[in-house]
Amino acid sequence: MAARGSCPACGSAALVEDAHYAQQQLVCAACGCVLAEGLLTTTYTEEEHLREVAYSQSTGQKEQLSRCLQRGIRRVQDLCKVLHLPTMFEETAVSYFQRALQHPSFHLVSLEKKELLGGCCIFVTCRQHNWPLTMGTICSLLYAKQELFASVYLSLQKELGLSVPALSLVDLVKTHLNSFRLFQQAADIPAPFVEDKEKMVARTMQIVELASETWLVTGRHPVPIVTAAAFLSWQSLQPAARLTCTFARFCKLAGVDLPPPAHLRLKELLDILLRMASQLAWLRVFNMDRKTVVKHIGDLLQHRIFLLKNAFCLEDEEEQHDAAPGEGSPGSPPAAQEEGCPSEGKRQHEDSPRPLLPPCLINPRKRLRTAALSSSDSAITGNEPISDSEIEQYLRGPEEIRAFRKAKAWP
Amino acid sequence: MDADSEVALDILITNVVCVFRTRCHLNLRKIALEGANVIYKRDVGKVLMKLRKPRITATIWSSGKVICTGATSEEEAKLGARRLARSLQKLGFQVIFTDFKVVNVLAVCNMPFEIRLPEFTKSNRPHASYEPELHPAVCYRMKALRATLQIFSTGSVTVTG
Repeated sequence: MAARGSCPACGSAALVEDAHYAQQQLVCAACGCVLAEGLLTTTYTEEEHLREVAYSQSTGQKEQLSRCLQRGIRRVQDLCKVLHLPTMFEETAVSYFQRALQHPSFHLVSLEKKELLGGCCIFVTCRQHNWPLTMGTICSLLYAKQELFASVYLSLQKELGLSVPALSLVDLVKTHLNSFRLFQQAADIPAPFVEDKEKMVARTMQIVELASETWLVTGRHPVPIVTAAAFLSWQSLQPAARLTCTFARFCKLAGVDLPPPAHLRLKELLDILLRMASQLAWLRVFNMDRKTVVKHIGDLLQHRIFLLKNAFCLEDEEEQHDAAPGEGSPGSPPAAQEEGCPSEGKRQHEDSPRPLLPPCLINPRKRLRTAALSSSDSAITGNEPISDSEIEQYLRGPEEIRAFRKAKAWP
Repeated sequence: MDADSEVALDILITNVVCVFRTRCHLNLRKIALEGANVIYKRDVGKVLMKLRKPRITATIWSSGKVICTGATSEEEAKLGARRLARSLQKLGFQVIFTDFKVVNVLAVCNMPFEIRLPEFTKSNRPHASYEPELHPAVCYRMKALRATLQIFSTGSVTVTG
């Protein structure tokens, strides 16, 4: 093919386009000088069926994460944003979620459980960093049943071998009280009901510590205890105006749920406080009841270690007699070693110290336990011969079968 | 507690679960019709049969697998299972009593002291797990014995495994 221009070597105008193997070249026909070379590859317009490939597709980035996993990770990230968790928590929760989904026991579970799995990973992360998050909060965010959440959580803990520290009640108090609406003026809250947050948090924490020292926390759900303690501390800060307010009304004004066991916890706390009040010298003259003791909660909490020692019978009788008032001496009884008061007869009198026991032992439910095996039962070996008459009682007679068949109309 | 304490602890076995196979297909309808003390659960495909002595409840599947619960000792469980197999034989099935195995034993014991569960959990970290929001007891797993203990704050301990 002829082309325009002249050869730089010999000046000839005879330039042709020739292909040297697959490469197009512009060559001078006279001297053979190569003026220009074409590209070895085909041009873009010739590659009609091939288009530009995106980086993520060529490296297979997106294909590595399945759609379920992507959705789950997005959900975990959204939950972390709703709960205002730090970025580090989000990364940890996402890594747990990825590990869990790869585990064979979670790979094929229902979609509902996979959604709960994300919530469980966040819950575990928060507990590991002592961030007080309750199961109730996560379940309400996920619209999940607590039983299902509990089963997924326990299996996650087991399969991944995660160690989850206990929920700190003190931190839970701060978080739970954050959701109360009594710390600012509002249209539906009377002025005397508004309270200073710091004071209420401090007093509630003291009451919760008192509850944990007196067996009211062990084995119980923590939220009702915190709610009851918050109510008592709120009432005691301004008893004149607030004693007439009921627990239910308090929860409604504060904008929190009233969990059913909270009433029982409140009663138990008041009983403990009444016992302590009986040991305080300037309160002994008054006839205290559950209403009036609230006014003196401040004093009772200030001297609680001394009062607990005096009000309840502990291991060493001598400790009671030379008990010194002060925060230095240990107040709570040693773990797992406490026994009942040696003089059981004293239990009858209200003023004398009663043993510091869990409430379920003070008011035990009557339980019927089968008696120890009788001598004839203990001789069973399992291989005795079985007579026909023993078996006959478990089979229906022919008339009975006919009557039964007629009544049920079975085919 | 001292190692050689004089207080004797009574451990009471409250439940023994065992399984056995009859090696033949069982017609659940026939068992429900001709057996006394039976409950036929058609939706799940099983029959519940209760024996009086020993006090046992047996779950019978049509494949021939039977699970017996409610016995208070392993020997009693075996006797009850054999009685049940015998009843099925009388009903007309070619029952062979095989693969008898005790699967689970549940026992209860009471400690003479109360237990502070949070501190107990902290000092027995990998084995003990305590979730007060879920269950009021500490779950203590002993991998070597394949047993699970539920420890309550009152001192009551339930052993399963």
